Amino acid sequence: MASSVNPDVANAIPKLVEPGILPPQAAPRLLRAARGELVSVHGELRALLYAGVLLITGGVGVLVKEILDRIGPAAIAAVLGLAAAAAFVWVVRVAPPFSWREVPSPNLAFDYMLLLGVLLAAADLAYVEVQFTPLGANWPWHLLIVSLLTGLAAFRFDSRVVFSLALSTFTAWRGVAAAHIGAGLWNGSQDAVRWNAIGCGVLFVVLGFALKKGDRKAHFEPVAVHLGWLLILAGLASGLGESGRWTLYAAGLLLCGTALAAGAYRYRRFPLFAFGVIAGYAALSRIILEAGDIAVLGCFWFFLSALLLLFGLIAAQRRMREPL
Amino acid sequence: MRADAARADRNAAVRNAARSWHKTGVIDETTLAAIEKSVPDDRVRVGPVFRVLLFLFTCLAANAAFWFLWLLFFDNTGRQESKIAVAAIVFGVLLAVFTEIQIGRFKRSQGGTEAATSFVALGYLLGGLGWFAFEIPNQSDVKSVSLLLVEATVLFAAAAWRWGYPLYAGAATVALLGAVAHLPFARVSWIVLPLLAAPFLLRFADSERLPPAHRDSATAVLLVGLVGLYAAVHLGSFDIGLIEEIGDLARRSGPASTSQVLRWLSVAGTALVPVILLAIAVRTRRHPFLLVGMGTAVASLITLRYYVHLAPLWAVLAISGIALVAGVFALRRFLDSGPDKERAGFTAEPLFEDLARQRLLETAAAVVSLSPDARTIRDEPRFTGGGGEFGGGGASTEF
Repeated sequence: MASSVNPDVANAIPKLVEPGILPPQAAPRLLRAARGELVSVHGELRALLYAGVLLITGGVGVLVKEILDRIGPAAIAAVLGLAAAAAFVWVVRVAPPFSWREVPSPNLAFDYMLLLGVLLAAADLAYVEVQFTPLGANWPWHLLIVSLLTGLAAFRFDSRVVFSLALSTFTAWRGVAAAHIGAGLWNGSQDAVRWNAIGCGVLFVVLGFALKKGDRKAHFEPVAVHLGWLLILAGLASGLGESGRWTLYAAGLLLCGTALAAGAYRYRRFPLFAFGVIAGYAALSRIILEAGDIAVLGCFWFFLSALLLLFGLIAAQRRMREPL
Repeated sequence: MRADAARADRNAAVRNAARSWHKTGVIDETTLAAIEKSVPDDRVRVGPVFRVLLFLFTCLAANAAFWFLWLLFFDNTGRQESKIAVAAIVFGVLLAVFTEIQIGRFKRSQGGTEAATSFVALGYLLGGLGWFAFEIPNQSDVKSVSLLLVEATVLFAAAAWRWGYPLYAGAATVALLGAVAHLPFARVSWIVLPLLAAPFLLRFADSERLPPAHRDSATAVLLVGLVGLYAAVHLGSFDIGLIEEIGDLARRSGPASTSQVLRWLSVAGTALVPVILLAIAVRTRRHPFLLVGMGTAVASLITLRYYVHLAPLWAVLAISGIALVAGVFALRRFLDSGPDKERAGFTAEPLFEDLARQRLLETAAAVVSLSPDARTIRDEPRFTGGGGEFGGGGASTEF
């Protein structure tokens, strides 16, 4: 973390004002910030609000577990519902009108109160489902319901954080834990989970594409597309350890990784380019290492391929810096 | 640090500031271009994504090169360890020279590859020197670890000074604290050293004579030193003898001292250090103190809950959360109500920060920390009434 003071910038400002490069009216505030005379705690306040929301939801989780016997399920459900409603009432009161475009938050706390409301409401719904089983044998559907409601809230109140929660809740419904992408896929031949991950990924990528194409909350597109590609690539990569069928997964990963890197290169999507390169390289390495003496050949492969890739990456980044 | 690299570093600081002014609408495109022209950048830089990719693949290529050459030419018969240690040191030196060439002749900065070669160089140098540290005859393991930590301190400090990486400065401080833990009066040293160094480090962190990379290195040393100081006064650390254990890994966990006076001093220190750090942060408007002050305050509150059961856990969590949110609301209102939305030089408004990056981090953090646990696909479709997860959009507590 840098110090609040930046003497180089503080020295440069008067020199930039003198020949008229920097507008004189902007200089005093910039100078105060560079000298450390004016410090923003905006980031710190956001972090504290986030921590506050985590603490409250954590406390609610423990509360429900600890005093369930004493106050009964109905009371707990009611308390959770009331708390969620209180958060939503505040959010609705201060929320700006709906728009399909990006809407700036009306204040610092807005996103976090919305997040708190969503988490409490989700917890309440899940609790009601577990205690009163209104969905019966279809109990896993509560995750889908939560995902859809969270998605609605994300669109209405324009929150990317809540939108990402909607997507990860959807993957949870399909048995995939988005919090540790791929981790659950490596420990066994869970074909269903793997294909669910890939399916969710494809769905998210398509959703992202549709949002951007339709210019409807187009700024949500990176969230959907990045999570989608991560799920697809992690799903395919998890098959690299499969005995017998690993070649199919390796080929799929190589194909997807290469296609993604090429597409991302074309459209200057840097993180997606990185995903594609790493996935393609992992698949190719898996195929090469199957060929023979793992120690010498492996070292030679990693040395030569990484070196060639470095030259390729340096050339690619020069081209990607050029305007589209 | 080379003079040309230091000059480029200073120019980069101004260019970065200008870009943040542009992003927040303070200056327009033309002004940004004019500023960038007035502080030219002769370095070869790449963006953050490519930097990570180039770093990773350079690390991979360097390690693979070493082991390939080793397997091809040296891996035959006889005693291998000393040969491999010497080879590691030679390879580390070669990579250090290559780092120099990249930063000097090729003018690379924030380019990924030079950071990677410096990183791998330090790893191999430490690995090789570490092996020899443990091979000195008639020397205990404790002394060998101590020697290795001293070597690490010197290497990291030299790398931070020469190549301008604040991360290495922080690592050097960690290694130094580790080495000091092997000396008599280690706990006292962990308290005294940061206190003695802090005024100088603060001066270095603001010094016009130093390039930004060295100023950031001074800040990194200060941060680690303050965390070390807090660890030394912390009650939990006192009760388990954490620093004494670092100094002697064979030591059994137990209080650092039987003295009740010292224990009460530790209690006072645990309570007071965060308050003092936050007070300094408010008075001097310095982010490092604010950061460590907030972190240590959280740690002290957790310690309080560990030792004193004021209320059930759920109440502590929920009340702390509500208090935190309410506190932020109050602070925000207080700052906003001041002239120009600021008080004592603080404002809750974003100044020239990259809000897009903050939002990206928040979104990633939400997916990692708040996503519900996945349902178990195999368990379907049998419903037993007691299964399921308390979650969706967040919590994952089971009933």
